[in-house]
Amino acid sequence: MIWKSLYSVFKKDCRMMASGKFFFVALGSLVFYTVFINFGYLNFMHMEIYNVYLYDPAGTQAQVSNLIYAVDSLEEMDAMLVRDTNGVGINASDGKPDIVLYAGAEKVDRHRADYALSLLHTDDEHTPEIVGGDSPEGKNRKDITCELLFIEIVAVGFLGIASVLFKEKRMGVIRVHAIMPLEKSLFVFSKIFLFLLTDLVFAALMTLFNIGPAEMASILPAVLAQTAILSLIMSLTGFVCAMLLKDFKQFSLAYLVIALFATAPVFLSANTSIKMLWIDYYPFYHVYMGLKNAFFGMPAINLAYSICAACAILLLFGIASAAFCREMRKEG
Amino acid sequence: MKGWIYQLKSVRKDKFCMMSFLLPIVVAIVLNYVGSIDLSSLGELHFGVAAGGVDLETESWLKRYGSVTVCQTRDELVSAINDPSTNLIGVEMDGDGIQTILSGDELAIWHQTAGTLPALYGQREMAAQASVQILERPDILAGYRYIFAAMTLVVAMFMGCTFNAMNIISEKEDGVAFINEILPMTSRQYVLQKIFIGFVFGCLSAIVTAAICFRFPAAKAAAMLALIVLSAFVAALIGLFVGRISDGLMVGVVYIKIVMIVFMAVPLLKYLAVEGNKIVSYICYFVPSSATFEGIMDLANGGAVTAGKDMIILGVHCAVWFLLYLFISKCQKKHA
Repeated sequence: MIWKSLYSVFKKDCRMMASGKFFFVALGSLVFYTVFINFGYLNFMHMEIYNVYLYDPAGTQAQVSNLIYAVDSLEEMDAMLVRDTNGVGINASDGKPDIVLYAGAEKVDRHRADYALSLLHTDDEHTPEIVGGDSPEGKNRKDITCELLFIEIVAVGFLGIASVLFKEKRMGVIRVHAIMPLEKSLFVFSKIFLFLLTDLVFAALMTLFNIGPAEMASILPAVLAQTAILSLIMSLTGFVCAMLLKDFKQFSLAYLVIALFATAPVFLSANTSIKMLWIDYYPFYHVYMGLKNAFFGMPAINLAYSICAACAILLLFGIASAAFCREMRKEG
Repeated sequence: MKGWIYQLKSVRKDKFCMMSFLLPIVVAIVLNYVGSIDLSSLGELHFGVAAGGVDLETESWLKRYGSVTVCQTRDELVSAINDPSTNLIGVEMDGDGIQTILSGDELAIWHQTAGTLPALYGQREMAAQASVQILERPDILAGYRYIFAAMTLVVAMFMGCTFNAMNIISEKEDGVAFINEILPMTSRQYVLQKIFIGFVFGCLSAIVTAAICFRFPAAKAAAMLALIVLSAFVAALIGLFVGRISDGLMVGVVYIKIVMIVFMAVPLLKYLAVEGNKIVSYICYFVPSSATFEGIMDLANGGAVTAGKDMIILGVHCAVWFLLYLFISKCQKKHA
């Protein structure tokens, strides 16, 4: 009996979302992100070490590395340095190398100068010992796929459920539910389940198109598990917000706040060496790191984190059901 | 004039508009007074060593070039190197010299740095003898400090777009749009009235945000004001377009999302990544916010080189979008 009613509620939700063009929008986002990753982002991510320019008219430096660009005059060297302010110039016209460079950060400047000098003496490249398994491109792909997946679920999952709910509120579906002989939490459950399913499919497709089938097999289970946590938290939060706020406009403001404040500090801490002191107390950071670790194949099965996530989801589900009941009482 | 008063009335009742007006201002205050994030560690080199893995002399030598993290065991060091969010270079002793350890997924610059570090170490006495002349240049990192402020400003201007789009969509859903069609009002009047609210509030919000984030002398403040006015106008116009093409809230929100991502990402990527590439940077100007962002950064960094050019680009945007909108609505009227 309960399965039958769940099925019919679920079918109705599917139709609702299809008519709200939700699936269409998700597909559009998928195409947009895939194009951006493959044709935009990867092309931006190149960074080479500083160029070194040598002015040595008398040829006093014998063992010059082939990484050095020779210039014919001091003017040419100055012009190069103005254009490439990270570059380093070496003036060896009096037989002794003098270094010229534009100031950057103090320690980096020291490294630039010493690096330039080292190129005058040696050619033997040391190869660093490699302890990881990713290529630079693979890492960039994983980085950006993880970020976009996070944004998509935080933004669209949250927004999608709210738009569907506000539509139903206006159509009076909630009022009808109040008099239906159905378990009340089925309404919440079916919606959340549908969003979870969509997000999981989205995550799988994102991984397939942007990371590739070869690596997908090994990371997919962990990625899906983390996606499920994030998706449940976000859609339940969206559900609660949609029940408590009056109309969609107020809701979209809440959404803006989330988009700005939930994602910005997380990305800063997770992708750069900037560490903010309070970040450890910030729940979104842990969720994001869980997702990121999953993408990089570091399944940090952290018991405390799993328990916290499960508790948060259960708590949110309780709040969502309560808010839904309150709304039904108000309506009917 | 009367129409504008009505528009203002509808705004006054709308909490959403009031709050979206205040949001960038709050962000600006937060940015300015609470946390100034230390960005100076971004350009630095980071080394990692295992405890006891290198002698003290080597460690202090590494400290000349960047920060050194000491891990308790070698396994800890390896996982720190593998941590995808940092570009840590591991260092170990190798006979008289040193050996570097990488995770293999770093960009070329870190590979080259790690590849040449042992040679640098070998020549460390020699390096001290050469003379180094350091030329002054504006602090590279100072520019980054303003990025947050400039982004907040772009978002503030963008509020006009959001509000206009939302306003029009909700009018469509409530059926006010049909009433508007039979009112004795030309399409130009309608457009101007609709732009007005988004424009005025986007402007006000951006001006207050700018006043909190930046301290400018009069001439630059005027340039900044011009930039704000022009971009708020373009944003309000774009909001009009979004409102026009979307037939439901959900679709509208998605369009707004896309516009917002493009508005924020294009100037940022352009600023950080494609400085040299002329063609790409010209293409970027098709997104109005990249001209805005460039102008703000230019003013913030003390120059006034590109601000004039950016104003002209924004002016062209204003004219083209405005005419395009009038043209489209005229065409549609003919068909209707």
